[in-house]
This record gives sequence, C-alpha cells and structure tokens, in this order.
Amino acid sequence: MLPDDIDQIDLTVRATLRDILGLSQERVDAFRSETPLFGALPELDSMAVAGLLTELEERLGILIEDDEVDGEMLETFGALVRFATSKIIV
Amino acid sequence: MLRFGPETGPVVIAALPLFDEANRTRAFTISVLRALADRGIASVLPDLPGTGESLVRTEHLSMRDLRDAYAKVAELIGNEGRRAYAIGIRSGALIDCDASAHGRWHLAPQSGADLVRDLGRIRSAQLHEAKPLPHAGILPNVGEDHVTVAGNAIPVDFLSELERCEPFDQPENLRVVRLATDPKPANVKLAGIALWRKAEPDNDLPFAQAVADDIASWTATCEK
Repeated sequence: MLPDDIDQIDLTVRATLRDILGLSQERVDAFRSETPLFGALPELDSMAVAGLLTELEERLGILIEDDEVDGEMLETFGALVRFATSKIIV
Repeated sequence: MLRFGPETGPVVIAALPLFDEANRTRAFTISVLRALADRGIASVLPDLPGTGESLVRTEHLSMRDLRDAYAKVAELIGNEGRRAYAIGIRSGALIDCDASAHGRWHLAPQSGADLVRDLGRIRSAQLHEAKPLPHAGILPNVGEDHVTVAGNAIPVDFLSELERCEPFDQPENLRVVRLATDPKPANVKLAGIALWRKAEPDNDLPFAQAVADDIASWTATCEK
C-alpha cells in the first residue's frame, strides 16, 4: 500500500467522524493517533457507531463483519484508522 | 404530494431515502426544490406507497409498488407533454429504475444491501446489544413477518428485495453527486453536511443551493 493510500484512509476516517458525529473541522483536524474515541466522545453513542461503521463501509468500499466490532477498534483514532487500513489490505 | 415551480418545462421528481433518512433529508430536499423553482424548474415530491403522507402502512411496503408509483408519476408528467427527470437522494436512487425519465440525478446513492446492513445495526443498537449480532438485528420475532427499526415496521420480504437492489447505473444522462469528503467516484463532489446521518433532522441551505445549481445546469444540458 502506498503512503498516499494510507493518507487517503486517514482523511476519509477523519471526514466520516466529522460527518457522522457533527464535529467541527478544527476538532477532527486535531485528532492524533492516540486521541480516544469510544467512551471519550459523547457524540459517539451506540447509534452513532452503527452509522459510522456503515458509512466507512460505503466510503472505503469495505465490509465490516459484526464479530470484528469491539471496543478496541474504536478505542482511539489511530486504532480505527489501523482497522480500516487492514480491511482494505485484505 | 408537494409541487413547486412553473407549469411548463421539465419536471424533476424527487425521491427521498427510505425510512429514517427520509425525515432527516426532507427539509433539505424541499429547500432544493424551492431553489429549483427560483431557477425556473418545476418539481414534484410524491408520497410513494408506505412513505411520507401515504395511507399505506409501512408493513405493506413493496419495492414493486414504490417503483410502479414512481413510474406512474413520470408517466403523468409525460402525458402533460413535459420531460421528467429523476432525483434520488440516498436509497431514493433505488426507486426510479422503471420510470420513463429523461435523466437521473443521484445524491450519495446507497445500495439496498448497505441499507439493510445499516438497519440491522440500528436495530441492534436500539436493543442495546453490546455489539451488532450477525443478522440477528434484522430477524423478526417468532410469528411476525416484519421487523421494527426506529419506529418503522418493515416487512421481511421487503428487506429481501432490498438486498438485491442497486441504483440505476446506465451511464446515459445519469449524474452521480457525492459529498466532497466521500472518496467514491462521482460526476461532481459538493461541500455539504451528511444530513442523512445526523441524529436529528436538520438543513444545510448553502448545500441545497449548490445542489439546485448542479441540477439546473445538468437538466439544461440534457434538454439540449
């Protein structure tokens, strides 16, 4: 995978979080790999997780199996980007 | 059914997304149709069977009925000697396939399979499952032929139909528009809010104006 592709995945995950959770561009621009998500962002409730997963599937052309969804992949921004990247490599 | 714009010239037929996304995009869609009227383009927003103000209960939804009703609207417009153009927002893009439309314009079209996955996840979240259950979210209770998702009773047969539905994909006079933040292919990408994903119904007037500009210039091109 090319660095450009990884940048594109990072940007897409950032933009999807912005769109689904109604966050400001400044706020998602400030996300770092270790920025906590699930449990730290009040906007990210279980309904928002449902929308986030489906929107990531649509935008990245991936399929997320239900048994892959756990607290770990949503723990931090970096974990979510790594998860999305792994789905695209597969 | 709502109608906007002049009594002559082409008519845009708008189809909202199915289920919850319809509530979240209705105000936006009406803003687009009003903006089209300002640009001299007529439009209609029909209440298809089982949607909007329709008297058909959602338990009786059928893709055949939705598509037939939509095609009937296009036919009536044709009978007035006017050209019909299909506008589909999200899963609204699944409904116009059988219509005699001079062109189709789709905003962030969603496949039926993606919608079914979405509904399953929403149902799981509502049932407070720790994580979505494989397909269980979308299975009916024993003895029932429908599932209830976000207040909508949806027939199981309809979900099976949806799984196989894709937006119309013949390239002639088809325009696909997506958000600037969406990496999927599109004829044009516009800056705007993903209103269909917001927790509460909302609007985005600059986005509605940009969408109306795009529809107006696209219909003008198709009319040449």
